[in-house]
Amino acid sequence: MSNTPMDLFVGLSAVLTGIDKGKLAPPLDPINIKQTYFDYAQKQKPADFQQLLDIYNKNQTLPPAQIGNIILNQSGDAIRYLARSVMLMWYLGSWYDPATLQKYNSKNPPSGSPPAVAVISSEAYTQGWVWSVAQAHPMGYSNFTFGYWSQQPPSLEDFIGGGS
Amino acid sequence: MSAAQNNSYDVVIVGAGVSGALIAKQLGLAGKKVLILESGAGLPSNNNDFVQRFYQALAKVPEIPYTPDLFNPPGSFNLADPSKLNAARPTVLTLDHDNWKDPNQSYMIQSGPLAFGSTYERVAGGTMRHWLGTSLRFVPNDFKMQSQYHQLVDWPISYNDLEPWYGNAESEIGVSANVADQAYLGIKFPPGYKYPMKPIPASLVDDAVIKGVTGTSFQGTPLVVSNTPAGRNSQPYQSRRVCAGNTNCIPICPIQAKYDPSVTLEQALNTGNVTIWPQTVACDVVVDGNGRVSQIKYLQYQTPGGDGLKPVSGSVTAKVFVIAAHAIETPRLLLMSTNQGRTPNGVANLSGQVGKNLMDHPLYLAWALMPNPVFGYRGPLATSGIESTRDGSFRSQRAAFRIEIGNEGWNFPINDPYTTTTDFINGLNESHLNPNGTGQPQALFGPDLVKALNSNLRKQFRLGFLVEQSPDSTNTVTLADEKDNLGLRRPKITYNLSPYTRAGLGAAVEAADQIFDQLKAQQFTQPPKANDPSALEVPVKGKPKLIKFFGSGHIVGTYCMGTKKENSVVNSEQRSWDHSNLFLVGSGVFPTVATGNPTLTIAALALWAAQTIKKDLS
Repeated sequence: MSNTPMDLFVGLSAVLTGIDKGKLAPPLDPINIKQTYFDYAQKQKPADFQQLLDIYNKNQTLPPAQIGNIILNQSGDAIRYLARSVMLMWYLGSWYDPATLQKYNSKNPPSGSPPAVAVISSEAYTQGWVWSVAQAHPMGYSNFTFGYWSQQPPSLEDFIGGGS
Repeated sequence: MSAAQNNSYDVVIVGAGVSGALIAKQLGLAGKKVLILESGAGLPSNNNDFVQRFYQALAKVPEIPYTPDLFNPPGSFNLADPSKLNAARPTVLTLDHDNWKDPNQSYMIQSGPLAFGSTYERVAGGTMRHWLGTSLRFVPNDFKMQSQYHQLVDWPISYNDLEPWYGNAESEIGVSANVADQAYLGIKFPPGYKYPMKPIPASLVDDAVIKGVTGTSFQGTPLVVSNTPAGRNSQPYQSRRVCAGNTNCIPICPIQAKYDPSVTLEQALNTGNVTIWPQTVACDVVVDGNGRVSQIKYLQYQTPGGDGLKPVSGSVTAKVFVIAAHAIETPRLLLMSTNQGRTPNGVANLSGQVGKNLMDHPLYLAWALMPNPVFGYRGPLATSGIESTRDGSFRSQRAAFRIEIGNEGWNFPINDPYTTTTDFINGLNESHLNPNGTGQPQALFGPDLVKALNSNLRKQFRLGFLVEQSPDSTNTVTLADEKDNLGLRRPKITYNLSPYTRAGLGAAVEAADQIFDQLKAQQFTQPPKANDPSALEVPVKGKPKLIKFFGSGHIVGTYCMGTKKENSVVNSEQRSWDHSNLFLVGSGVFPTVATGNPTLTIAALALWAAQTIKKDLS
């Protein structure tokens, strides 16, 4: 089992997002969005990000549900909300500040949904996983062809891999 | 400022939107020298910058791909101050209770009582840059509401008058449809007529609605789903690609399979007779002693504004002038043009009707979960609609509407998939899906998260009810005291909805409830938030109900055509009653907003005006 920081990041991202590791980081990966995300999250919260990788590293042999539970429910607020920011980054291509997410979980939350800080890049938008989970495509970025919308989409597994 | 240029053309057109583009092309083909003054940026070599701006924007609103940037600095959360822009325009981001009346954020000075929710662009290609592509013809009774139903007003032209021009417009735009689907409510086609391209296929969402409503009726009116004629390519057309279902017609088709007026502008330029001056704001329509327009004065700028640079002023002369600046900027220009007091109420305004009868299709949005997956977020934004509700004897009592079936899940209603995703990841419930019912929101991860999102997103759909708003002389565009960066007075909007229109909105609420019941769909439509300037009471089953309405982007009226110079601004030729060499085109001439999306009718009328102008010049 390889333990490079990127391996750890992809491994924990797969656990949190439910998307197959081979889909998040395919062997041939010309877009390499994982590197964009790794760099972005690390820059936002360097110490917490390192701690998140360390927690995953220490627990990575456990079943995924247990790993997720340790990260999200047993490691403190800083790690919980950073992990949620990482999940939202993979799903939506945008960065949601962990402190903002925490504020919306407080007893007197602001109204509405937590706002994102930024779309990380054009590639991040077009690689957002929520569209695949919907068995669709990012609005404004379709690799499908004319008339596909009148047919059933491919299976969910075809979109996000067999691991979920 | 100094007079920089004095140029003479056969025709000067103000505005490089669809009307200006179509007229310029026709006149250019006929060998006429045409100049288009465009207030915003000119034609880019391609749309890549627009698409990139869309991808990178957090607020993916209709205006976001286009210029000037809505935010200053770009990428920030600060809306650009319209008083510091040379060609500002409205945005839906200034429709909140705390900013809709803020002149430092909202370009249009809104005086209420309701917010006018539609926006427009000031850029080559115009507002049609972000049209949906819907290319409906109006139904014959749309043109004769007064004589048929004793409501609203009649147009000075009939469906039959306009019919040949509809055909020409469908060719210019490139419309995908078939005649059999569109021949309803009295709409007739010439024998053997064929649309340029085969129809766009229906979506799985459409199929579910068809299954649920076919054979049923609403308040005595049959509910019939029709394929929507679309200005999107179902086959290669005009050297453009076939629709790939990017689900992004608004704000921008990334592959230009959807027509936009840049297509026609390029063709106009290729005639060799048409010139476009971008970043050139027409500011004064000059009338000579004989009542003819002699020149148009302009201000030409180099940057979006706010940097202290002075514009260059100048004027252009022509035999014929066309103002094609849409239904808010056109009356603004006319009202600004007072000719040192000789036209104190503005040009073309002896009737006093310029700026009056501002209309839109107030849109009621209703959303639900289907019982089974329908797989939204796929295909063009809309491929079918219920059109059978556009006409009937009920129009003597309340406004008609068409029902647009959306293919983009709950993107329009709640900004999904963003809202539902943040709900399930951060344990919130803005979507009302986490949970769907009672209990505490859950924060999920892993396979549970995938399952929750997948099972909800693929069942989402929405209906949009576009209601025919009555023309009311109290709904106006006038000149505000607030100015833009060029020192020109900005448009002031006064807007309300009549009891007739509200009754139509109330019927839309009842129709939505009924249709969702028939589909066994679970409705999630939410009431408006407190202080929403787009909230109003409508009668639903005899009781007042507070709902929110949206703008449809269908800005209509403000220089209506009519049969008398006393109560209309242009005649049936779209020629000013007051100035025989001045044509006012675009949806501002519509006496009523009718029951279809306006673009095809705008294009048809523009092509008709082009022929009249050609005759004038020959």
